[in-house]
Amino acid sequence: MSATELIRKIFMVDLFKGMSVTFRYQDPKECCTEQYPLERPAVAERYRGLPHLNKNPETGETLCIACDLCALACPEKLIVVKSVRDEKTRKKVLTTWSVDLSRCMFCGLCEDACPTDSLELTQRFEYATYDRNHFVFDRDKLENGFAQTEYKA
Amino acid sequence: MKDYILNYLNSNVTPGEAGNWVWALIYILVIFAGVSLAVIAMNWLERKILAHMQVRLGPMRVGPHGLLQPIADAIKLLIKEDIIPTNADKLVFWLAPLIVVLSAFTVYVVIPFGPTHAVTDMNIGLLFMLGVSSIGVLGIIMAGWASNSHYPLMGSLRSSAQMVSYEVAMGLAVISVVLMTSLNPTGTGTLSMIGIVQAQYSQSTWFLFGANGMNHLGWIPGIAGFVIFAIAMVAETNRAPFDLPEAESELVAGFHTEYSGFRWSLFFLAEYAAMIAVSSVATTLWLGGWLRPFPHWLSGPAWDLAFSFLPAVLFLVLAAICLVGVARMPKLPQLKLQTLGLAGFGAVLGIVGLLLLWTPVRVRVQDVFWFVAKVAVFMYLYIWYRGTFPRYRFDQLMKVGWKVMIPVGIAVVIVTAGLGLAQ
Repeated sequence: MSATELIRKIFMVDLFKGMSVTFRYQDPKECCTEQYPLERPAVAERYRGLPHLNKNPETGETLCIACDLCALACPEKLIVVKSVRDEKTRKKVLTTWSVDLSRCMFCGLCEDACPTDSLELTQRFEYATYDRNHFVFDRDKLENGFAQTEYKA
Repeated sequence: MKDYILNYLNSNVTPGEAGNWVWALIYILVIFAGVSLAVIAMNWLERKILAHMQVRLGPMRVGPHGLLQPIADAIKLLIKEDIIPTNADKLVFWLAPLIVVLSAFTVYVVIPFGPTHAVTDMNIGLLFMLGVSSIGVLGIIMAGWASNSHYPLMGSLRSSAQMVSYEVAMGLAVISVVLMTSLNPTGTGTLSMIGIVQAQYSQSTWFLFGANGMNHLGWIPGIAGFVIFAIAMVAETNRAPFDLPEAESELVAGFHTEYSGFRWSLFFLAEYAAMIAVSSVATTLWLGGWLRPFPHWLSGPAWDLAFSFLPAVLFLVLAAICLVGVARMPKLPQLKLQTLGLAGFGAVLGIVGLLLLWTPVRVRVQDVFWFVAKVAVFMYLYIWYRGTFPRYRFDQLMKVGWKVMIPVGIAVVIVTAGLGLAQ
């Protein structure tokens, strides 16, 4: 042990350095804690959250063409797409679109597979509920949105 | 009876010396209430300061900035089920927290908050304090043994080993102060706590900087002794970084693992009361006790008056800060109660501040204020250590205790005595 090291040890220089660090961090400006319900967290731009089924803004009709590609792309097979053939226009008409979010891992492969920009993962992240069944989101909820579950005190 | 009570106000000694049991009882009750209140305040302050040191916020929801959190905790602890393990030794399990609390609070009998503000002034006050505070170890061993569980037993064994080894270093540091009190023309020292502060006043120094009778090197044993005591007192009260008896990563909660509810809160109360008691002793021995800063250099009635106004000014400033907080609080319906609470807190502080301006109170309380201010520095240091230092390993603890602190303590005693002789 050299002389300087010995002196550092006797006068506990390292301990005082540590104490100066903790003293500086007491400044409330350094605080990292977010007070969640009062302060809204900043969600990343490319965060993948609750899915949303987009409508055509002009006509109000769904953009979904019931091609079933999202259901095929889903690695967990959570998406159910049902449709009927309209005999006049020879087009598929969407009847059911549902996804079970309780097992969804938000990989975004369904969003990538969608050819019409109908399916989109939004930045919304608050969809906790009191019932497991509520995690199956149907077409109505995904198109028109839904009320957030209130906390029961 | 009325005369018996009022006559004491004209005397110049502590109630214990005056033999006035009514005032002694009043002092005991006031000190008990004050210490309990300080423990509650300390609980909140520790959580907030520690949180900020760790870049967190700490309690925020119960009252403004979590001010009511300790009260909520106390209510929770009091209404909790009182559990005694089936295989525990019931009597010893029941006695252990009592002994710890009693030993922590009995120390306050001799602590001088002012020249007359102590329950009594014993001529062996310092010995009494050392003796009584080490009875606390007994309570901890009893708690660990009676719990009939591995972790409490391990914790209490560690605790006793630690307390016994650090008590030696503490005693040596204390002896150096007793030596310094004897460095006056009459050559008589004292073990009385009030006598030690008066010795510092008559030598116009704090013993932190050595006694007046020593030459210009007196500050070396003074500061060295103080540092030894400051480290040993952290170890004595089982606080971080010496909190091995309750090392949660190894021993769950140490000796109070099996305790819950009210009994646990007694341990908590005792720990904080002991912290305040030991800090008070350090203040008395090295930092001039109740003496205000520079009683000789800045002497005279003008300075006395200026210093006696400081407590009131401090409380009024705190009240002003609270009221500014009320004004700055966002006007939200869910924060209405919090705003009212903060306003009430500010009002209480303001009333205390105004009360301190009243001359009879101002004159009697200023000693207590300086004493409490010095103790508060130690309490902050306790929190600061806890926020900064990692826990010692047990062999490191023993090494520091026996190979560093005790030899240095002996050296401090010898150097103090030598410098005192060489004057």
